[in-house]
Amino acid sequence: MGLNSLRQAAGLCLAGLLCLFSANTVAADAPRPLKLTTTADHSKFKELQREFQSGPDVTKACLSCHTEAAGQIHRTKHWKWEFLNPVSGQTLGKKSVLNNFCISVASNYSACTSCHVGYGWKDASFDFSVEENVDCLVCHDTTGIYKKPPGLAGNPVVKDTELPPGSGKIVKGIDITKVAQKVGKSSRDTCGSCHFFGGGGDGVKHGDLDSSMAAPDKELDVHMDATGLDFTCATCHKTSSHDVAGSRYTPTAMDKEGAHVRGKEDKSNPATCVSCHDNTPHKKDERLNQHATKLACQTCHIPEFARGGVATKMSWDWSKAGERDAEGKQITRKDAKGRIIYESRKGAFELGENVRPEYFWFNGDVNYTLVTDKIDKPDGVTRINWLGGSPTDGKSMIWPVKVFRGSQPYDPENKTLVKPHTAGNDDTGYWKNLVWDKAIETGMKDAGLPFSGKVDFVKTEMFWPITHMVAPKEKALACSECHSKNGRLAGIQGVYIPGRDANPLVDRLGWGIALLSLIGSLGHGLMRFAARRKH
Amino acid sequence: MKITKPLTSIALLALLGASFSASAYDADWKRGRIYYRSVCTSCHVALPVGSINPSAKTMAEWSGYMQADKHAKGKDTVKQYVSKEYRASIKSANKAAEKFADVPDQELLDDIKAFVTKGAKDGEAPASCS
Repeated sequence: MGLNSLRQAAGLCLAGLLCLFSANTVAADAPRPLKLTTTADHSKFKELQREFQSGPDVTKACLSCHTEAAGQIHRTKHWKWEFLNPVSGQTLGKKSVLNNFCISVASNYSACTSCHVGYGWKDASFDFSVEENVDCLVCHDTTGIYKKPPGLAGNPVVKDTELPPGSGKIVKGIDITKVAQKVGKSSRDTCGSCHFFGGGGDGVKHGDLDSSMAAPDKELDVHMDATGLDFTCATCHKTSSHDVAGSRYTPTAMDKEGAHVRGKEDKSNPATCVSCHDNTPHKKDERLNQHATKLACQTCHIPEFARGGVATKMSWDWSKAGERDAEGKQITRKDAKGRIIYESRKGAFELGENVRPEYFWFNGDVNYTLVTDKIDKPDGVTRINWLGGSPTDGKSMIWPVKVFRGSQPYDPENKTLVKPHTAGNDDTGYWKNLVWDKAIETGMKDAGLPFSGKVDFVKTEMFWPITHMVAPKEKALACSECHSKNGRLAGIQGVYIPGRDANPLVDRLGWGIALLSLIGSLGHGLMRFAARRKH
Repeated sequence: MKITKPLTSIALLALLGASFSASAYDADWKRGRIYYRSVCTSCHVALPVGSINPSAKTMAEWSGYMQADKHAKGKDTVKQYVSKEYRASIKSANKAAEKFADVPDQELLDDIKAFVTKGAKDGEAPASCS
């Protein structure tokens, strides 16, 4: 028995060694496994062959080769969260503007900066000049495991950590070394890790960007179709020196520059439809090209947004926030589909899927009501941003838009919108305490702005042009969607749309011509018939 | 008697080393995601068996399932539905099968394993079907 076991083990050992020998021989003969999507396997670089303890630790290693990268990032909106609008002169960017979703970054840095391309922005004193605070991994992760939870000022969790502190919930630490060794090009997943979740959750803000766009089918987006064209975000948002083309603050509403061509210097926005499809994209029907002089491509080719099975928020009423249950605890309500429609800390929401856009003339100008601006009509609706445009300015087109409506706190004495301190496990954070005046006082103090101590609510609107989720051409709008009474463009002024518009004189003239033609034909036929009988 | 265990271990390690050195394939979880959703899930929904989220099982459960290679409670195999032959049979109606028609079977299987492992209930990024 013992001898047999020994023989068996020896046999196995011999077989294993033979296998190893033969496999290595085969491996030596066969071409080595080759990555074709990159020129560098970062796991082979000595600089990355060690255990990393933090994000900045990784960045230092990245910068030892990519010496200019951090400096390039430092010049971008993704880093500064600040943008000077050359048209309006307004200072915009996430750092300055407010919205009617989670409202404002000021005093909420540790939560909001989980989507900053940096590490450690926890308050207004963040040093924007430090190179190792640039987060390379958030854009270049290929593992899909890199995450930056809210509350950590843009830092990832590298060791198992209780979040929020005292909650008893443990967030597992990620293997940041593995992430560093597997870096690659940006992808829908990396861009989407922030842009799909704008406004505090999946699909909340944009309506045309949510997690369903990570690997969409053709029905959802013809360009990003994972089994077809498989565009990444950067395919259109062409990036130069780490500066990503395309902007929510200065979008291109009408592109007269035509398609970009290799070898020709193109300074226009590469993220427009025209930059690939040219100004006359319809090869078989010239009438559609005529439409394309007034209608943005998106108007016909994105019939609905939020089509991927993820609902987008359509309204947010902060004035309803603050309810507690009988035990004084915060509550959450869900709709029949299990989606949250009320939270004590945030208020009431309306959600939408397969939403038909609203339509507006848009010339690319976007103006903002800033926190320093006086609200003239607090009883009406304050537009936090609004789109410039008219049918006669020669640079506007009709665009599909998600209009996000809400009600949010303002200062009725100073007549301004306010920046409340919402996120934060402290005495004034609204999400913890549900007390508005404390939260607003902290937020406005952080922003260096006055607050009277009085709080009321004002109705607000924001306008988000729709440009993703391009449907297959077979699913583009049919003529009757607009050429009809009460069609999609019922509210659009300044353009004559047959089927929608009626001019009594033109109508009478048309019907008159038709009637005369009928009488003429019948008369002619009658005379021919009578003449035949005579012969 | 005592010498047999170390010898057996050496033998198994040698076999493992042989297989590893012969196929050092770096699995592509994103390709696995597309195949899982476009082929596995779309068929499950159509049959209708119903979709199975990667996060419905733990990593150990997925590992056991893939290793056992028993599809539909053992009526057929998982590998069968990842094979080139299967992909060829459905590629006229399934774009993922068409796109990955020439991918070696083992690579695609590894891609799917990588996706479900990463997306498992206790995985690094629990995932759904859609």
